[in-house]
Amino acid sequence: MAYEHILVEIETPIATVTLNRPKVLNALSPDLIHELTSALADLDADESVRAVVLTGGQKVFAAGADIGDMADRSAVDQLSRDQTGRWAPLAGFSKPLIAAVNGYALGGGCEVALMCDMIVAGETARFGQPEINLGIIPGAGGTQRWPRSAGKYAAMEVMLTGAPVTAQRACELGIVNKVVPAEMTITIAKRLARQIAEKPPLAARMAKEAVLKAFEAPLAEGLASERKSFYFLFATEDQKEGMHAFLEKRKGVFKGR
Amino acid sequence: MATEVEVHVHVQTHDGIGLIRLNRPEKMNAIGALTRQQLAEAIKQAERDEAMRVVVLTGSGRAFCSGADVTEMVQGAGMRTPEDVGNVLRNEYMPMLTRLRTMSKPVIAAMNGPAIGIGASFALACDIRIATPESYLLEAFVNIGLAPDGGVSWLLPRLAGTGIAYEMFFTGKPLSAADAHRLGVINRLVPADRLEQEVRELAGQLAAQPRGALAGAKRAVTHALESTFEQALEFESYLQEAQAASPEFAEGVQAFLARRAAKK
Repeated sequence: MAYEHILVEIETPIATVTLNRPKVLNALSPDLIHELTSALADLDADESVRAVVLTGGQKVFAAGADIGDMADRSAVDQLSRDQTGRWAPLAGFSKPLIAAVNGYALGGGCEVALMCDMIVAGETARFGQPEINLGIIPGAGGTQRWPRSAGKYAAMEVMLTGAPVTAQRACELGIVNKVVPAEMTITIAKRLARQIAEKPPLAARMAKEAVLKAFEAPLAEGLASERKSFYFLFATEDQKEGMHAFLEKRKGVFKGR
Repeated sequence: MATEVEVHVHVQTHDGIGLIRLNRPEKMNAIGALTRQQLAEAIKQAERDEAMRVVVLTGSGRAFCSGADVTEMVQGAGMRTPEDVGNVLRNEYMPMLTRLRTMSKPVIAAMNGPAIGIGASFALACDIRIATPESYLLEAFVNIGLAPDGGVSWLLPRLAGTGIAYEMFFTGKPLSAADAHRLGVINRLVPADRLEQEVRELAGQLAAQPRGALAGAKRAVTHALESTFEQALEFESYLQEAQAASPEFAEGVQAFLARRAAKK
C-alpha cells in the first residue's frame, strides 16, 4: 500500500515506519494517524516482521498535532472526530515497538513515543507536553503515561509548565532507554529491534503484554495473568527449541509456533 | 532621526575563524544590557554559521572583560530587583554560556587582559584559553557580597580543583595568568604583542582540521561530563561508528597510507 505521510520499510525480520511530513515537523494530522495505524495493523499481521522501529527521521520526531486544523473546532467536532482515540491501534500493537527520537517529541509526538515499548533518543532530542500553553491538556495518554514512568512530580512539572526536557533528563526520569549521537539514533534502534527479533516471538509478545498489564491491573491480577502466560508458553514449539538449544549449547531457531 | 546603536560586540569571519570581540574598551569591556543582547546574537550566529569552523572570543583594549556593568546595575537599567539579577542569569547568560560550551566547534578565549566575574565565566566556558602574562582571572563576587554565578561553581572546580576554586570564591583575590597556566586553566601564555598572531595560528590550524572529528570530541566531552564511565564509553563507540563512516575518515586513512597530508 502506498502512503503519503509515512514511509514503511520492511527489512525482515524488522520494519521501520518513518513519519514523513518534514515541512510541518511531522505534525500529526488525521490522515497521518490513519496511515500510521493501518500500516501498523499490516505489520502486526505480517509474520515475517518481529519488531518495529517508529521514527520521525534525522531532524524531528513529531512536534504535535496540527494546531491550524484544530484552532476553531468545537468540543463536539473534536469528540465526533475523536482524533486522540484513534491512537488505540498503536498502543495495542502486539509486537515490540521501539521509538527512535531525534529533535522534538512534543505534545502528541511525545505521547506517541510514550506509547512505544522502548525509546532511543538522540542527544538533541526534547520531550514535552506544551498543550497547556494553548489552553488544553494532552489528549493521547500524556497525563497517564508520564506519571506511570517518570512519577507524579516530574509529570506535573512537564504538564503544568509546558517546558520540554532534554534527552539526558528524560533518560534520568526513566522515559528514555539510551541517549546516543543523533546521526546514530535510527541505526541503534534498528539494531535493538534486530536483537529482539531474534527472540522467540510468542515469548516477546507475552512479555510485552505482561509488562503493560502492570500499568492496568492490581498486582494479584497481574501476577495471575503472568503465571498463565508463563504456563501457556510451555505449549509452544519455541519453548522446547529454546530449552533444548540451551542444553545442547547451540543457538535456538524460533518460528513463532 | 535614526539613532545609531552602539556596537558593544564586534563579529567578523575570516578564513573559517569567527572572531567575537567585546568592544567597550573605555569600560574594560563591562557587560551591560545592550552588550548582553549583542553577545547573545553573536554567540547564536557562531553556533549556526557553518563558515565559522572555529570561534575566538576576545576583548578590546586592556581587559578581556571586567564583568557585569555594575554602574548600570546600580542605576537600575533592567536589574532593579534581586529577581531581575536571577532572571538575567537564567534567561540571558545561561543560554550564552551553554552555547559556548556545547556548540560543536572549538571555541578559544584570547585573554588579552583580566577576566573578571561574568567575564571569567566567559573565558572559562571556552574550550581553550590563551592569555597574556598580565591577564588574570578574578571571581570578584564576594567583594560586593555576592556568591559565584555564571557557571563558575561548575567550571572552576573541574578546571582548577575545588581547593583553588574555593580560595578564589572566598578571598575574591585574582588567579594570575602564571598560576592559572601552571594549573592548566590557561593553555598558553603569550606576550601581548604576539597574542593575536598566536591565537590566529592555532585557530587556523583547528579550522583546517576535519570538522566532524572536532565536533565529535566536543559532543563526547559534553556527554561524558554528565554521565558514568560506562555511558561515556558507549556514547563514544557510537560516535566513532558515525565518524568511521565519514568521508573525513576515508580521506584521513588514504592520506596516512599514501604518506601525504589529508585534504580538508
